[in-house]
Amino acid sequence: MTKRVLVAMDSYRLAECAVPLACYICGTDNNYNTELCRHCAAPLALSHQARTQGVRPQMVAVLGTAAAGKTVYLGMLLDMLTRQNGRVQVLARGAFSITLQQRTMMALSSCRFPEKTPNEPDRWNWVHCQAKVNSKKNPMELIMPDMAGEAILEEIDHPNAYPAIHSFLEKCSAVILLADTDRIERGGAEQNYFLMKLITYLSEQDNRKARGKSTRPVAIVFSKADRCEPCFDNPELYAKEKTPNLWQQVQQRFTNYGFFASGVAGSVGFREEPGEGTSAVPLRIEPRGIVEPFEWLVRKI
Amino acid sequence: MNRYVVGGAGVASVVVLMSLTWLFGSFSWALATTVLLSAIGSGYFAYRQFTQKFSAQPATSHAAPEKVASHKVAATASTGNANDSQSLARKMLDQGRYTLLLRPQIAESIPPKLLQRAQAMLDDAMTLVPGGETIVGKGANSSPDLPDHLDGRIVQVEGFYLDRYQVTNEEYFRFVENGGYEQISLWDPEIVPALLDFVDLTGEPGPRFWKNGKYLSGQAQHPVVGVCWYEAAAYARWVGKRLPTDPEWVKSGSWPVPLPGARPIQRKFPWGEAFDQNKCNLWGSGHGGTVPVEKYDEGMSVGGANQLIGNVWEWTSSRFGAWQSSASPLVLDASMRSIRGGAFDTYFETQATCDFQSGDKAVARKRNLGFRCAIGICDLIPDQSMQAEEHPAQVETQEYAEVAQ
Repeated sequence: MTKRVLVAMDSYRLAECAVPLACYICGTDNNYNTELCRHCAAPLALSHQARTQGVRPQMVAVLGTAAAGKTVYLGMLLDMLTRQNGRVQVLARGAFSITLQQRTMMALSSCRFPEKTPNEPDRWNWVHCQAKVNSKKNPMELIMPDMAGEAILEEIDHPNAYPAIHSFLEKCSAVILLADTDRIERGGAEQNYFLMKLITYLSEQDNRKARGKSTRPVAIVFSKADRCEPCFDNPELYAKEKTPNLWQQVQQRFTNYGFFASGVAGSVGFREEPGEGTSAVPLRIEPRGIVEPFEWLVRKI
Repeated sequence: MNRYVVGGAGVASVVVLMSLTWLFGSFSWALATTVLLSAIGSGYFAYRQFTQKFSAQPATSHAAPEKVASHKVAATASTGNANDSQSLARKMLDQGRYTLLLRPQIAESIPPKLLQRAQAMLDDAMTLVPGGETIVGKGANSSPDLPDHLDGRIVQVEGFYLDRYQVTNEEYFRFVENGGYEQISLWDPEIVPALLDFVDLTGEPGPRFWKNGKYLSGQAQHPVVGVCWYEAAAYARWVGKRLPTDPEWVKSGSWPVPLPGARPIQRKFPWGEAFDQNKCNLWGSGHGGTVPVEKYDEGMSVGGANQLIGNVWEWTSSRFGAWQSSASPLVLDASMRSIRGGAFDTYFETQATCDFQSGDKAVARKRNLGFRCAIGICDLIPDQSMQAEEHPAQVETQEYAEVAQ
């Protein structure tokens, strides 16, 4: 008796590999079997999903200086939205999208902050998810990478230094800007200047297409606001008083903007690590103001 | 009234004038006599008015206090000092300050009926936690190689009473209403200069989220929040109690079972070992805020303390960080106090166990920080009901002794 089996022809496989796959982020052609884009190091799984599922995901950027809390914010947001059925529900697409959430939650549950995101783009965590908003009929596909703060700063100072960031910011439909409240409270102007640079960069990207104010929705989130309670009461007033340049810039350059305050740690202690200096330790986790900016942004997109 | 008097006097004068004219036969003599009589009459009337006015006024102004004073004296004389102390004791019971009456120094001068009432209130509102060993600081050592039997320190705890519920807004209002924020003796001396900062949203003395010196409507039975450690300690002093120590709190929740020659076995949660979302108010419960203190009675401890886990974190009297690992200690603010139990916004269940300790600055007035009070058994007079149970046993022993003889 003869058993009939189907065996793919090697020539067919070769032909498949010969067809280039364009990176969803930067548009560079890549081999079919490649895992990361050879130009920007974004995962090609995003391109495969876009191609096979026929959906064009929107992009949301979470930006801020190094240690502003981008990883914690993004990880916490995803965990909260997948854990409770609120007004916005999120469903991860692809197993790689859960890694960021997993790492962040594992660290926070044992009273640690997650490790710093490395500067190398091939080691960044990308999240591709489906967000369903109660008021909208169709769910939205979203891509949100967790990029390193130093890399963002480098790209702003020297455009195209990080092609992934450059292409992503050009294409993204909404932006979450994180300002470190703790550092603002300590009197440093670093946050102010960094965010001003970023706002200028983003608005100029938009102005190339059309003159006037940018319509891209921007949420300015004062992270670590648990260390400054008045920030929660009125974030816009806080911005006006503590970061007046930033407040002015946002008003002049964007039409869709909102100020928010968020916090993850209920209380923070510090630990002297041998050879590494002082590191912050969350004494307990009490998320506050995490979902609100995202929800506002998703409705604006 | 005066109009009629003047009219009447005029008519009378005319009648008198006509009568005198007829009597004297001369109108001028009659007129002169009438004017003279009128002058004498009005002078006399004016004199009477004057004397009545100036002699009666001091008499009445003195009379009232004398009357009041005499009433007071009469009341004091009839009831004596005993009534004063009884009414004070009743007032204290109404305010929920029953433990003050049960103090050995005070109980002697309180009638037995009131003492019984105070004892009944104690039994209703507080749970008795027996003395014994408890493990504190379990899981606080970060070293993964540490064997289980070395994780946590064994601490001896004396028997004490713990509030069954967290202190509510209504209870704390009594403290505010009775001038708790003005009684300097209730407060730690170091915080007295900062007392003016402890105001509500409208600038009145009280917890941070109150308005006009009162809690928000519908929140009478919710735990009081927005009070710092010093406010909690002052309230506890006013009510005649104190804040529980860290080991006391752990013991009341984990209810250790002593084992001979081994470390005591204690629970992770007051209701058992496994987490149950329906037995406490944490982030996952979805309330997003505090709930009344009587809710979640299924999650009460063995002794009957409600909501030790969830709803709000609870201040303890101990400093934070006492049980941390010596290998990599935290650099802490000296004023940090230990808090226990988790709150409505605590995200991880592992951070809302009987073992888990967190901390906050003693002056923190947060929306998820409340407290409950405790008092040592040794600080109160012996429980009469417990003694009563001992009597039959003694009688039986005596009877048995008699039979044996």
